[in-house]
Formats: sequence, structure tokens, C-alpha cells
Amino acid sequence: MNTDKRASSTLELRDVSRNFGTVKALDGLDLTIEPGELVALLGPSGCGKTTALRIVAGLEVATAGELMVNGVRYNETPANARDMGMVFQSYSLFPNLNVAENIDYGLRARKIDSAKRSKRVNEMLELVALESKAKAYPHQLSGGQQQRVALARALAIEPRVLLLDEPLSALDAQVRGQIREEIRRIQLELGITTLFVTHDQEEAMAIADRVGVMNHGKLEQIDKPITLYNSPATPFVASFVGQANRIPAEITAKGKARVLNQKVAISSTAGDFSEGMRVNVIIRPEALEIVSETDSDATRGIVALKSFLGPMTKVGIAVEGAPLIHLNIASRDVRKIEIGDKIAFKISSDEVMAERV
Amino acid sequence: MKRFSLKWPLIIVSSMLAFMIFVVPLYGASVFSFKGVGGKGHSWVNYQWLLHADGFYLNLFTSLKLAVLAGVLNLLLMVPTMVYLNLRGQKFKPLVDFLCILPLIIPVVSLAIGAQVAMPKILQNSQYELVFFFVIIALPYTYRALDTSLQTVALKTLVEASRSLGASWTRTITRVIVPAIRSGITGALFLTFALSIGEYTITSLLHWETFPTWTVVAAQQNILGAIAISVFSFVGAIVLLTAIALFSKKRVQRVEVEE
Repeated sequence: MNTDKRASSTLELRDVSRNFGTVKALDGLDLTIEPGELVALLGPSGCGKTTALRIVAGLEVATAGELMVNGVRYNETPANARDMGMVFQSYSLFPNLNVAENIDYGLRARKIDSAKRSKRVNEMLELVALESKAKAYPHQLSGGQQQRVALARALAIEPRVLLLDEPLSALDAQVRGQIREEIRRIQLELGITTLFVTHDQEEAMAIADRVGVMNHGKLEQIDKPITLYNSPATPFVASFVGQANRIPAEITAKGKARVLNQKVAISSTAGDFSEGMRVNVIIRPEALEIVSETDSDATRGIVALKSFLGPMTKVGIAVEGAPLIHLNIASRDVRKIEIGDKIAFKISSDEVMAERV
Repeated sequence: MKRFSLKWPLIIVSSMLAFMIFVVPLYGASVFSFKGVGGKGHSWVNYQWLLHADGFYLNLFTSLKLAVLAGVLNLLLMVPTMVYLNLRGQKFKPLVDFLCILPLIIPVVSLAIGAQVAMPKILQNSQYELVFFFVIIALPYTYRALDTSLQTVALKTLVEASRSLGASWTRTITRVIVPAIRSGITGALFLTFALSIGEYTITSLLHWETFPTWTVVAAQQNILGAIAISVFSFVGAIVLLTAIALFSKKRVQRVEVEE
């Protein structure tokens, strides 16, 4: 298969803002995506991630800031002259055109000659393994197939940057996993610079080189998925990425806190807290471990919840003076634990994130 | 106990009503239109009279020409307007909706006389002024046909997909929006065409001669011929509208794919 690569591009957003009336949808976003890199923007609804992507696509106009592709300012370039391939959540295939015609659409708009277009369409059909569906219409395809056509259509024009706007949200869980892997395979194969927007952290962590977590129009942290998970820069990132317990604690000294009668170190990125201050510490379920009831440093509680999640089981422990505390325990080890049992646990993490109450 | 269903009685009653209202008069008219001279026997004599009557072709051609122009003008005016209203001009929609209903509220006499005075002199002296009146009287129907059609498609994302693939606005409208709302456009075209070709009041008030005004005069000369005109008009309208419907379904874009 010959999938001609366009030289990968660098995408930069410099202090980009977007206001809708009095609402700041995007507030000074700085983001650089290196050539061939896949960056995911992750965040809750209304955090500004889709607005950022739409500004890159030229479908929204930035109120302030600069959009640069390979060092060239793109703010004034209309959407149809940007060479950005976009995949939408709702597929957005043209219902009156068949699969091949949908893929051909962008090539035709570029007035490419018929032989080259035909060759390119066939390459794209092969890339997304839909050769047999070339003449099918969108309504004759499953959701997964439609999204693969949308991906092929966006890639056919050899875009400078591939933009993916929650492309997996409308698919069921099994197909979502398949298409996710397919997107990553194709992205790596073509080496195309990609911006991927999602509210699903699993999706973002699974395929992105770096994940940017957004909140209230700002980028809270952008890092490799593992760094983001293990060393969140802010309490929001800590609680948004992965599961987390928020447990009331008291600062005992600079960088130290007492929580559930145990001493923990507070992450230096959490900010400054004065002695005696009441805070919430954010502890991941896997940072808690079940210990012997005889351990004098352990916290004791009663098992109030047990949810089987396949290889892991989520156990909820009721502790006096704290909200229900969640632990993840390997399912093979949890058989002897029953609801109502007394249980002891310890915080095993070196340091935890904290936030003001 | 099995519940009594109203479905079949309703279907039977509505079919009978449709039969009595549409089929029986049409059948009766058809039978009469084939009566021979003096109402005896069966022959084509009334249709022969119609085809040889003075002004038949001229007025038929005039009406068809004006109806086609009205249909085209209406679509040229309303398709971009409705696309704009549904994409970016939501706040103007109630105003345009109201303006498009006015032709139903304003008496035809006031519309004909009032609007004619407002027209440029060059149009006042031309039968083509009727095209503008036909467009106006079709507005309430075309607005709704197009609006309903536009609301059934994901217009915004289709437009955005097209633009992000490098298409111009013209290409987006002609290759994406128009095919996506083809049923609405065909409906709007049908309605404008049907209203235009059968319009009598405004044409008569403004002293122009088209097929409907000609038929009124011609019918006074031959009662069976008048019935032949009715049947001819009805069948002609069905043939024309079917042709438009078939034409509008014709697909034009193809791409070669290896089998």
C-alpha cells in the first residue's frame, strides 16, 4: 500500500482565547504539538477542549492569540484552505454519496485529476479495510464502519494535521476499542500530527503520546499519560484522571499531613499550606493497601461496598469521620472479604496531592 | 378479549371518501371529455378542438415558462436564505417566518395592485412581473417545505465537514446541502410550479393572459371542450411533476473504484 506521507507539521496555539459573550470558553491556551505526535485534550463538558479543536479547524475564530502551523500564522486562513482533516463525533458522512464518493469529496474539491483521485480513494479504502463497502451508502454501514469512512475521508486529502472530535463517543464499547486501536495504528503508520479531543480518560491515556487536561478553559497539565496519572500537577488533574479518594486531613508541618491517623507527605506541586490548616488529600485506590488488623499504624473500618470489576474488585470502606474510602483489590484476593467485615488498611503512597477545603 | 381496532374502518372510510372526492369526478370528467359531437358516442373531437383552439399553445407555453421561472427564482431566493437562517441566522427566523406568512394574510387584490405599483416600470409592462407574484404567493409553502427538510439533516456538521475537506461555499451548497434536502427542494418546486401554473386571480387582475385565464374564455365556447381542458390540465400537471421528481432524483457524481 502506498500511503504518501505529507511532511508532518508542528501545530502551535499561543495564548489562544475564545469568548462567547461573557463566557470564557478558552482562556489563554498554550499548546505545541510536535510533528507526528498525537496529543489528546481531556476534560469535562464545557472545559473548552472542543472549542480549541474548532479554532484549529477554522470553524471558530479565536478572540485572542495565535494559531501557527509550521511557524506560519493560520488565524485568518479560512477552514477550507487549512488542509486539516477532521473527524466528527457524529461521523458527518454525506448521505447522498457512497463510501468511495465520500472519500473522494475532498480530493475533488482540490481539483485533483481523476486517475490520482481514484488511486487515492482505493488506498484509503485499503487503509481502513473497507474495500468491499466502496459502493455502500452511509445508512447501509454500522457506526464503526461509518467512522472508519470518516477517518479515510479526512486522511485522503493528506492533511497537515488530523483533528479528532470525540470520534468514538457514539460507538458501543467493543467497537470503540477496535476503532481506537485502528486510529492509533493509522496515525503511527502515516506519522501525522494529531489533536484528539475526548472526555473519556481511558481513551486519551490509551492512544495519546501526551494528554492535556483542561478545566474552565485552561490547560491544567499536559504530560505523558503515566506522568499525568502518577504525578498530577493539580488537585483537579488528580481527581479527574483515574479514580481518587478525597479524604479530610490536617497539615501538621510544611509538606506533612495527618489523614485517617496516618502521616503522609504532601506533593510539592500542591501548593503551600500552613500548619493546622484543614485540607482534603487525594489518594488513589491503589495507593491504599489492606494490612493485618494487628498493625497499630493502620486505619480501621467496615466493608460497606464490594463491586466486581473483572480482574479487580472495588471495595468501599466506611471509616468514622471520613467519606466512603475506595480500594481496588485483585479479585482473586477479595474472596474472603465480605460486606460488614472489619478491615485495616494503610496509605502506601510516598506523597499525595492536597487541596484546600 | 380482543380489542376493537379502528384502523381498518378508518382506512376503508378514507379510501371511500378519496374515491368519491377525487376519482369519481375525474372519471366523470374523463368520460364527458370523450363524448362525440352533440354528446353522442365517444371520440377525440374535444381534444382535437382543444389542440387547435386559438391561443392554446401560446398561453400554455407562457404559463409553463412563467412557472419554471417562478420555481427557479423561488429556489434561488429561498435555499440560500433558509440555509443561512438554519446555520447562523436563527435570531432572524421568526421575522422571516412572519414575512413568508403574509401572502396568506394579505388579500390577493391588495397584493396584486399594491405590489405592482411598487415594481420597477420595466417589470410593470412585462408579463414577467407575474413571476415575482408567483414567487410571493408560494413563499408560505416553500418556507415550510425547505425548513422541515433542513431540520431533518445535521446541517451544521455536514457543512463543517465539507468546509474542512476544502470545499468552497458554492460546492458545499450544491454538492452537500442541496442533495441532502432534495425532498424539500422538490416539494418547494412542486408547490411553486403548481401554484404558478394554476394561478388565475392575480393574472386576471393585472390583465395578463396565461393558460388559466385563456381556459376560462375558451371554456365558454365549448362545454365539453372545457371538460377536456380540465382533464388535460390535470394529466399534464401529473406528467410534469412526475418528470420533475424523476429528474431531481438523477445522480450526477461518480468515482471509479477497483472491484
